[in-house]
Amino acid sequence: MAASAPASASATASFRFELAPDLPGADRVSKYVFGAIRTLTSKLWDFRIEGRENVPLEGPAIITPNHLSFCDSVFVPAALPRRVWAIGKGEYMDSWKTKHIFPAMGMIPVDRSGGDAAQAALDTAADVLDQGRLFMIYPEGTRSRSGDLHKGRTGAARLAIRCNAPIVPTGHVGTVDVQPPDSFVMKPGKPVTVRFGAPMWAHEFGDPEDPRTLRRFTDAVMFEIAELSGQRYVDSYAGKSAETPDTPTPAPEQTPVTPRRPSVVGPHGGVGSRPTRPAMRPVAAGEAGQPIGVPRGRRVPASAEA
Amino acid sequence: MVVIAMGEAAPAVTYWAERVEQRSDDGGSMNLAEVINGHDADTVALIDGDDSVTYGALRGRVAAMQADLNGRGVGVDTSVALVTGNDVAFVVASLAVLGLGGVVMPLNPGSPTSELARKLSVAEPIMALVGNAGRLHLGDPAVGTQTVDLIEMLVDATSAQESADGPTDVLVVDRDPDDPAFYMATSGVSGAAKVAVLSHHNLGWIHEALSQVDPPLTAADVVLGSLPFTHIFGLNVVMLATLQVGGTIVLQQRFDAEESLRLVQRHSVTTLTGAPPMWKRWLEADVPDDSMASVRWASSGAAALPIELFEGVRDRFGIEIAQGYGLTETSPVVTLGRGAPVRPTSVGKVLPGVEVALVDESGTPVDFGDEGEIVVRSPGVFVGYLHDQETTDAVISDDGWLWTGDVGIFDEDGYLYLVDRIKDIVIVSGFNVYPAEVENVLIQHPGVTGVIVTGAADETTGETVVAHVSGTATREQLEALAAEHLSRYKRPTQYSFLDELPIAANGKPIRRALR
Repeated sequence: MAASAPASASATASFRFELAPDLPGADRVSKYVFGAIRTLTSKLWDFRIEGRENVPLEGPAIITPNHLSFCDSVFVPAALPRRVWAIGKGEYMDSWKTKHIFPAMGMIPVDRSGGDAAQAALDTAADVLDQGRLFMIYPEGTRSRSGDLHKGRTGAARLAIRCNAPIVPTGHVGTVDVQPPDSFVMKPGKPVTVRFGAPMWAHEFGDPEDPRTLRRFTDAVMFEIAELSGQRYVDSYAGKSAETPDTPTPAPEQTPVTPRRPSVVGPHGGVGSRPTRPAMRPVAAGEAGQPIGVPRGRRVPASAEA
Repeated sequence: MVVIAMGEAAPAVTYWAERVEQRSDDGGSMNLAEVINGHDADTVALIDGDDSVTYGALRGRVAAMQADLNGRGVGVDTSVALVTGNDVAFVVASLAVLGLGGVVMPLNPGSPTSELARKLSVAEPIMALVGNAGRLHLGDPAVGTQTVDLIEMLVDATSAQESADGPTDVLVVDRDPDDPAFYMATSGVSGAAKVAVLSHHNLGWIHEALSQVDPPLTAADVVLGSLPFTHIFGLNVVMLATLQVGGTIVLQQRFDAEESLRLVQRHSVTTLTGAPPMWKRWLEADVPDDSMASVRWASSGAAALPIELFEGVRDRFGIEIAQGYGLTETSPVVTLGRGAPVRPTSVGKVLPGVEVALVDESGTPVDFGDEGEIVVRSPGVFVGYLHDQETTDAVISDDGWLWTGDVGIFDEDGYLYLVDRIKDIVIVSGFNVYPAEVENVLIQHPGVTGVIVTGAADETTGETVVAHVSGTATREQLEALAAEHLSRYKRPTQYSFLDELPIAANGKPIRRALR
């Protein structure tokens, strides 16, 4: 598979497999750094690992932990029986504080500013898996501020299908006490538990060509993560406004009275006038303007009331 | 180390079709009855058994029937119910009424009298024209509306047309495009009879949009008319769209798989439209495997087409069935499989000129790759429900979007896939469970004849999945099947075994009766 790390990205942050055939952190020094981290975590914290037998000892696999604290990225790799790689911001390579230690821990920098960053990340991750390595990704996309487990992004499922790799659902408890949000220090002595669930394969969730399979697989993974971490699941993305689930969503404002059906009431062509064939195109939600109006008399679906 | 997820950097996108502005170039008036004008008088429009009706003869019969109907008080804005099967009488009578400026209310001739009466009481047409298939209802006072023998009228119209010298002109009254053309009784499972009002422009616009699809329907096409014309799919996509391009319709009054495939061969039918149960019977029909050799286009609508059926038809007859999606309220086409390579489990791509968005409860488009409620805006979106502003307001927003109540998802190439009805979703521990997915697993058990999945309240998980099953399968067998194919939270925790499941006349389950 061709490596397509962003060619247009700035030279400082781009990572190319053609230039570095081995993964960052695969060198001897990094191995010791990583070993030291593994030893430190077990000495400084009450660190428990459950279900480690679920992590394949060879071949590719995707590790999908819940995400509560910055230090999740220390504890989950330390709990694994093998080295793990993950995607990190290209900006980390600009700072002397992080440019050595993070790659040593398995971070592959991907520039987020250039072109299609998501595609570059996906391609980089696929390269890791195609080499038979472990790859870690947070399916929630960002840290959960509410403490709930949020809806999963489908990137991990896409990778699993593309690389024919299993997903190992992973849940952890306690990291938020070690390093609460916006804290720069990791408090020692606290209990931390990382649990790995049984590997899950995409082909058990339907036709990989069908977009419904991605969501079905992702939801199933999130369910397992919720079981492992003991979190409550909320069906909205982390980092979105709906993240504080205890506050009811305010009723959408009714727009002032407009003609009821502007697209239909306007001038008509009648039979004979020909619309030009429009091309399907993805439109960013922001570009499309306001949310679509909700019918004023709309009843809430029965199941949503529960 | 902070790890960014792949999805995080992706922009929030959903798929839309571009709006197409309507041009006004004919003075703002139209009439759907125009569909039969302008075609070669000698081209065959309808084939019904041994009877072939050319466009010339069709126009003559419509004109003759218009004189008759006008004498009975039918004119501008009068509504007339039409209770007959897919026959010449249906086509002639509906165009005659439309041409006079009236409104047609097609009703399923096979419905029980009480159901007919209930639907008629909403629209209160001045009369019900009853054809062959509805003869049982003729003169029945329980119908509640004056019934008129349509066959007699057609015989009179036919002889008048045959004795007339030279072509006769169909009377076509100018109508405002927004004036009602059809009252379509919708098969709502909610119990209340709803009548959707569709304007001349609603239906006519669909013909324009379909003409943009490649390959378009042409005058050379021969279309099998076995889908009921009393349903919007059969009415607009099969009957009116074919007449509009000057093609030929091979009528079949009562569906019979072997017979319809003989018709396909005999008349070299090019376009075959059916619902999944019809495709199932065609697949199982005792006919030669080359029976569909003349078919260039095959489509399915009204319900999800099982993949096994798609593969079966492809392997046996060598044609790929393209699915479409639509509602009575959208006249009906929203997406169709025609014009793009077929993806078997998709309902196709958005019809040119239709806007489709997938949204959450607040109307915000969901991120690309996520499921959302399908909302539609197009000139095909109906006027509203007859005498029911409350229900109309519950489905159309002020800015013209029709909220379909269906959950769907787009793939990267803009193909739409249907998930389930939004009101049927069961939420277990915050996770969405779609009953259709669970039903599709359980129905695979040979001992299961029917299954309906609903939700029930649960103290710990909010809701839990309940399976209502008919058949001989045991709970243990079904639990084993569910464990094999379903994630834990989707597996039913309660099973109820019933002798008979509540299924409405249109084949849809009545979930309300099980909750």
